[in-house]
Amino acid sequence: MIQILLVATLAWPLAFLAACFVRPWRPRALAWQFLAPAPGLAAGLMGLSGPPVSVSALGFVLRLDAPGALLLAFAALLWIVVSATLWRDKDARFGVCWLLTMIGSLGVFVAGDLVSFYLLYALVSLPAYGLFAFSDDPEKQRAGAVYLAFALAGEAVLLAAFALLAAGAPQGVGIAEVMAALPASPWRGAVLVLVVAGFGMKMGLVPFNGWMPLNYRAAPIPVAAVLSGAGVKAGVIGLLRFLPFEAPLAEAGGALAILGFVTAFYGVVVGLTQRDAKNVLAYSSISQMGVISAALGLGLAAGQVSAAGDMAFYAANHLLVKAALFVALGALAVRRPVWALALAGALALSLAGLPLTGGALAKLASKAQFDAGWAKVLATLSSIGSAMLMTHFLTRLVSGEAEAASETPVPLARVWPALALGALFLPWAFAVDPGKALTLDALWDGFWPVAIGVALAPVWRRLSVPQIPTGDSIVFFERGFARLVRLGPAFERADVGLRQWPAAGVSLLVIVLALLAAGLGDFVR
Amino acid sequence: MTAPGGELLVFAVLTPVLGILLSFARGGRAAEAITLALAPVGLVLAGFVAWLVAWSGAPLVYEIGGLAPPLGIALRADGASATMMVVTALIVPAAAFYAREKFATPQGGESRSALTFWIMLQAIWAALNLVFLGSDLFNLYVALELLTFAAVPLVCIDGRPETLAAALRYLLFALFGSISYLLGVALLYGGYGTLDIVLLGQKIEGTPLVWTAAALMTAGLLAKTALFPLHIWLPPAHANAPAAASAVLSGLVVKGSFFLALRLWFYVLPGLPIAAPAALLGALGGCAALFGSILALRQARLKLLVAYSTVAQIGYLFLMFPLAAAPAGGALGWSGGFMQVLAHAFAKAAMFLSAGVLAEALGHDRIAQFGGAARALPLTFLTLGLGGLSLMGLPPSGGFEAKWFLLRACAASGQWIWAVPILGGGLLAGGYVFRILAPALGDGEVKVKASPRRSQELVALGLVVIALALAFAPENFFEFIRIGRPLAGGGAS
Repeated sequence: MIQILLVATLAWPLAFLAACFVRPWRPRALAWQFLAPAPGLAAGLMGLSGPPVSVSALGFVLRLDAPGALLLAFAALLWIVVSATLWRDKDARFGVCWLLTMIGSLGVFVAGDLVSFYLLYALVSLPAYGLFAFSDDPEKQRAGAVYLAFALAGEAVLLAAFALLAAGAPQGVGIAEVMAALPASPWRGAVLVLVVAGFGMKMGLVPFNGWMPLNYRAAPIPVAAVLSGAGVKAGVIGLLRFLPFEAPLAEAGGALAILGFVTAFYGVVVGLTQRDAKNVLAYSSISQMGVISAALGLGLAAGQVSAAGDMAFYAANHLLVKAALFVALGALAVRRPVWALALAGALALSLAGLPLTGGALAKLASKAQFDAGWAKVLATLSSIGSAMLMTHFLTRLVSGEAEAASETPVPLARVWPALALGALFLPWAFAVDPGKALTLDALWDGFWPVAIGVALAPVWRRLSVPQIPTGDSIVFFERGFARLVRLGPAFERADVGLRQWPAAGVSLLVIVLALLAAGLGDFVR
Repeated sequence: MTAPGGELLVFAVLTPVLGILLSFARGGRAAEAITLALAPVGLVLAGFVAWLVAWSGAPLVYEIGGLAPPLGIALRADGASATMMVVTALIVPAAAFYAREKFATPQGGESRSALTFWIMLQAIWAALNLVFLGSDLFNLYVALELLTFAAVPLVCIDGRPETLAAALRYLLFALFGSISYLLGVALLYGGYGTLDIVLLGQKIEGTPLVWTAAALMTAGLLAKTALFPLHIWLPPAHANAPAAASAVLSGLVVKGSFFLALRLWFYVLPGLPIAAPAALLGALGGCAALFGSILALRQARLKLLVAYSTVAQIGYLFLMFPLAAAPAGGALGWSGGFMQVLAHAFAKAAMFLSAGVLAEALGHDRIAQFGGAARALPLTFLTLGLGGLSLMGLPPSGGFEAKWFLLRACAASGQWIWAVPILGGGLLAGGYVFRILAPALGDGEVKVKASPRRSQELVALGLVVIALALAFAPENFFEFIRIGRPLAGGGAS
């Protein structure tokens, strides 16, 4: 049964996609596409317990284990909610991109071999361009181009990583097989660097974080919700899958932990200078991905196999909360009743680990990694930072922008309270030991960093720090890119020169001589 | 010894020749009908040859006149040549089917350009089959000349001055290449008294004479393959030819001379230490992949962009030399290089055909004015996008499969440097595919001059689907293309 659901996780949305190419079926396929993630949801819920399940067909392997199942279930739920409320009269171009992104987003959690993972990872990255960048607005075009550049660069880096993984494991390209062979592989160091760089581009780790605020600001709210919620988790599952937690690697783990903490604080500091609420949420995502990377790095350093499951839970919590916060921008843009503000406040501070929210459980899940010493101090500081940043977000939310309302379909705004409550309390149903979060110690541990953060936020506002441009370091990347583009005419001139008869004749002669020399070199020796 | 079924090889070469003769004899309207009627015959023959090679697991040989080399000459189909024959038998008919509109003979009359097109198309097919089957270096020279002389008229078939200039450039530079190749052949004949590939492969030694011959022959073949920096003729020729001709020229004709370069280095010289010259060829290929992609990024016209993309993709092919010659991971390099040949053949043919549909429908092929064109021509842009997927090396596509093999070969043989053009070229390809697709998929209105022909769009789509389906090639396929390839040390695998 679960095997069938596992195949259907991909096959069923693919059927919707195929239906989009038959003109008479297209409107219906698009209108009913919220049903497409249903098998994924079911498979995710069934796969939460029990041993990993795998199916192979057509040379592809699908594999569902507990961390993947949790993320799959949460991602499928989010896709269902947002798709169901999505406006129905969107054009086919948008619908096809939506379905492709959905397939990739669900698929990465169940991909069992390198090639399927690479394919599905490309699907969750590239077609998302079509969800926000087809526009005459130059700012959206810029966001799209930057997004695609990072996505393609990430693909290239990962292809190199995967080729090394496969070359190190002659017995097969299943993820389980290549990961078993990795600790003994001669290319272990290179693989780890490439894996962190590649997935880091998707997660917005410093210095690859600049595309994220541009993307979320350009994207309409439903798109920002699924991309920030489900899309980014493709990077998280990548790290979960391709870091060898069985073997303690102190240097690599330590380096990743430092990178993660730097990103966590960088996101908070830059986020605090932003005025656009979407930007604040984007920087909060960057910061949270930094926390996850830091925990994974510490887990890697200590050889904690449980780190993958813990961080899957942390990421699943972030998945729903971040999506609900984006929808809140639209739902609360015009009317802001007190109960809704309270709900949004709880949701926002959940990211800082506010007691009784899902965030408190997520924080508890990371306890094994941030157990002592400097790691514990930094993790607490990052909670305080998150609380400051989210308080800042709430002030931006209250001074809301009316255009956020027009971006949000009415049904999605209506369903927002349910989505927010789900984000706050669903994690309780999936936590390993939720009782632990209700002890007095845990409540107090969760409470005081949030309280300090909330109290510090107004102090920070007094300081009136100048606003850092959206996408911070992206400005430097763009400047470097512009400099490269300026080299273009030189290449054209070189081409014209090389394609003159005398130059071509000389080239031919030089090639003959060089080949001769290369051949004779061996002969002489 | 001629193996049972060896006569098929003769039929495979003679079928298009028969078509040419019949076309001359009947003239006019018959040429088109004859080409299209013989296409399935050619496909069946190629498929049958491939089946026989796969079934026996050994090359299929036909000794002409019953005389064994070195006295006589032989036709020899191994896994690689059988595969290329099948590819040819798929792409040439597709181009022919596509060209029916443009090169239809007017009622009751006879059009010179139509007759030329159909005859030259069949001549290319015959020449390619001879290139793939030939087992004698002089015989292959003849095949190569036939290929060039059949390809050049296709470039200038519509008689515009710029196409004539492009064709002349192509012809002259190809002649340089021929002379260089022929000189090398003469040297080898002087040294060994035979030009049979198998016999030479057994006798060859690393003497200065052999290296001189190899250098001359290779340079000649590079000139005909348009490897950077010898791509002097390719962009104008491929961009100015009619779409159907460009598809054949870019997809197949440049692969003919590349195939001979493979024959030379991996079949004639396998026993020699070829690491250094192979690295030189790889370096040229790597430069081609990067340089061609950058130039493709800067083109204003779609056909020129696609032509420069061919310059880049030819570069990937030459990475096969250092990677397949390496003792470790050589099999991966061979599979990857061959997959690149196939993926590029289908994807590029499909893209040139699509560019043709586009130019007909819009009346121009200036990329800057594609805004919103995907809504008017959804199928064509789907084809361009899927072809681009393969060029970029994203799954599921033959292009991805090729890079996947080549990168693993880089890792296994420790030749890191080749990963740079493979990955960098992929990124740049992403850039130029983006340049075509992003404006077309965006908002905007284009004026459609003539609605596209559905049949032409479907032919291009069919080719690109094959390029994608290559991603699902089973493991046996890669064993098949190794049939008959001698390995270093003289043993045949």
